[in-house]
Amino acid sequence: MDAKDILGLPKSTHPASQEKKSRPLKESQRKPDGISREVYALTGGVPPLMPAVEPLQLKKRPPTDEKITWQWLPFTSSARKDNLQLYHWVIVVNGIPPTGDYSFAKYNKSVDVVKYTDEEYEKHLTDDMWTKEETDQLFELCQQFDLRFIVIADRFSSSRTVEELKERYYKVSRSILIARAAAFPGNISEHPIVKEPYKFTQERDRKRALSMVLSQTKHQERKDYEVLAEAKRIAESHMAARNAKESELLVTFTMDSERAIVFGETLSPPSNSEFAPAMVAHSTSMAENASTLVSLRMLRVYLRTYALDQMIQAASSSAGLRTIKRVEQSLQELGVNLKPRVPTKAVCAQHLDLRKEILTLLNLQKQLQHKEAEGTSYHDGPYETPGTPKDRTFVPDSTSFGGEVLGDRVGKRDQKRKALGRAEAPSLPAQSKRPRKLRASDL
Amino acid sequence: MNNGSSSTMHGPDQPEISGPAPAPKSLRTKMGKPEDSEKKIFHKKLKDVEISVPIVYGNIAFWLGKKANEYQSHKWTVYVRGATNEDLGVVIKRAVFQLHSSFNNPTRVVESPPFELSECGWGEFEIAITLFFHSDVCDKPLNLFHHLKLYPADESGPMSTKKPVVVESYDEIVFPEPSEAFLARVQNQPAVVVPRLPAGVALPPPVPVEDPSNRKRGDTKDHPLCQWFTNFSEADELLRLATARQQVQTHIAKFRREITLLEGQHQQVNSVSDQ
Repeated sequence: MDAKDILGLPKSTHPASQEKKSRPLKESQRKPDGISREVYALTGGVPPLMPAVEPLQLKKRPPTDEKITWQWLPFTSSARKDNLQLYHWVIVVNGIPPTGDYSFAKYNKSVDVVKYTDEEYEKHLTDDMWTKEETDQLFELCQQFDLRFIVIADRFSSSRTVEELKERYYKVSRSILIARAAAFPGNISEHPIVKEPYKFTQERDRKRALSMVLSQTKHQERKDYEVLAEAKRIAESHMAARNAKESELLVTFTMDSERAIVFGETLSPPSNSEFAPAMVAHSTSMAENASTLVSLRMLRVYLRTYALDQMIQAASSSAGLRTIKRVEQSLQELGVNLKPRVPTKAVCAQHLDLRKEILTLLNLQKQLQHKEAEGTSYHDGPYETPGTPKDRTFVPDSTSFGGEVLGDRVGKRDQKRKALGRAEAPSLPAQSKRPRKLRASDL
Repeated sequence: MNNGSSSTMHGPDQPEISGPAPAPKSLRTKMGKPEDSEKKIFHKKLKDVEISVPIVYGNIAFWLGKKANEYQSHKWTVYVRGATNEDLGVVIKRAVFQLHSSFNNPTRVVESPPFELSECGWGEFEIAITLFFHSDVCDKPLNLFHHLKLYPADESGPMSTKKPVVVESYDEIVFPEPSEAFLARVQNQPAVVVPRLPAGVALPPPVPVEDPSNRKRGDTKDHPLCQWFTNFSEADELLRLATARQQVQTHIAKFRREITLLEGQHQQVNSVSDQ
């Protein structure tokens, strides 16, 4: 069939062949230029869904009316001080070669190494450890190697360390600058060499320390890490304990302890031995309290109400919003102002302690509920244990602060529990939203 | 009885005699002469010594009645006074009241006590009060905010030109690390509450104050509006707090008992099921 088609011979009237005739016709009609027929057939003979980049477009370039040729031409570079003639390929546009300096010449930077005269040397720069020849050589090398001291040290005739060379170089430069500035008045105090003189011993020690750190074995690293972590823990516990101590007792502080408090974050193990071992078991709340106190002290002046707010925030930092709302609700039920009306020192202290106690109470309540839940699960076995109740109202009967009714209600609950004994699941307060637990009596 | 007694046990701060009443003379005479070895420089700050200045700030507003017009319906005074009406000038150098921008020169500076400002107006707005202290006290100013109240909360009653609307707030300015100079200067001043100094620390005797009759009186004991001043007493609040704490502590104890009880029960159950 195809052969007949190619040859353009008349086809038979067979319908199948008709189809075949039309299909190749269609294909050859639709096949775009630029890609071969076979490749196009790969896509099923149908154009791709996404518009493909026309290959022909890729090769197109913007038509330019400039005549471009490439020529092998000589060039000069301002970076070169000799007369060496070099050549390279250069693009020539419309017969005009490029102008301007060699494009890489701008990278030829050098350091301004001080150049002293002999008189200047005699006047300012003589030194016991250095001869003039050595100094001259040093400066020549500095100029030549752009202050790459490692290289300079290598090339130096006598065996001087890098630090020694640096020291000599910077000392000389500094002296020269200062001497010259004295003669021709000018402000050079901002010049980096004058401003920050080279410190030989510091550099030497620094490099030694660096190399030690670098050459640490893995084992040493681990040990260091452990020691530091331990030190940090000790420091923190001492800080909290000390802050608690200083706020509870009247202690006259020596200068040492004063300094230690100020730099409390960076305590190292040795200085901890000054203080008695922490006698107070520090809890997180104490530490928070202590840090609030410290930050208040920094203020130099503040209002009592502000201080109280900060302390309340610190104490409630671990509590969620719902818990905080509950605390406030309790305060209201107890007939206490959320913000004290007469915030004296004593009142604020009491208020804060009350809030903390309420928090403790709420936590205990939660704990108790969990315990109860655990208890019921022992008896229920395959039944699913209740999740933490979501919308439990704060005041189940037994803990409402409704004045004198208190004792009775709580008492009743106790009695109920004892009466049921451990064989039965304890009955829960009416407000509970948990599903009724299976009781032993139900089995 | 003059001092808050429970502060020593509960507060996280150092024991201090605080409360609106000043410390009795007997405590002050207990201070011995400073030893030479312990002589401190005058501008050194003392830790563990906290100076507090109880203040009351707020406003009193009178309806002008017949004389009222649309823009000036009330005459009000905003002020900062000592809680016991003592002279705050020993601590405060000047007070700046920032009024609503609709007022002329809304930044009003009061250079001497009593630190107050009177104006006529119709609107209620927030007033920012900035207190600047003497140089030996503190170089940082302190801000207070007071919402000016002119109209009585209960709108049903008739407005009276005789009975003003009074809104006052109590607070205490605290200087956690006062300089010795400050401490020495104010140790006998009634407006300031100075605690008992820690053992071993002593102050030089106070500089004699200039003859008060030469200076204008800065206290507000006989202030024209003093009949409207609130007397803030901590006693009532302390009592309520103590009662509340009692209740809470009782509950805590009960819960703890219940928890231990349950834990005991669970343990028994466990041992049974292990068999």
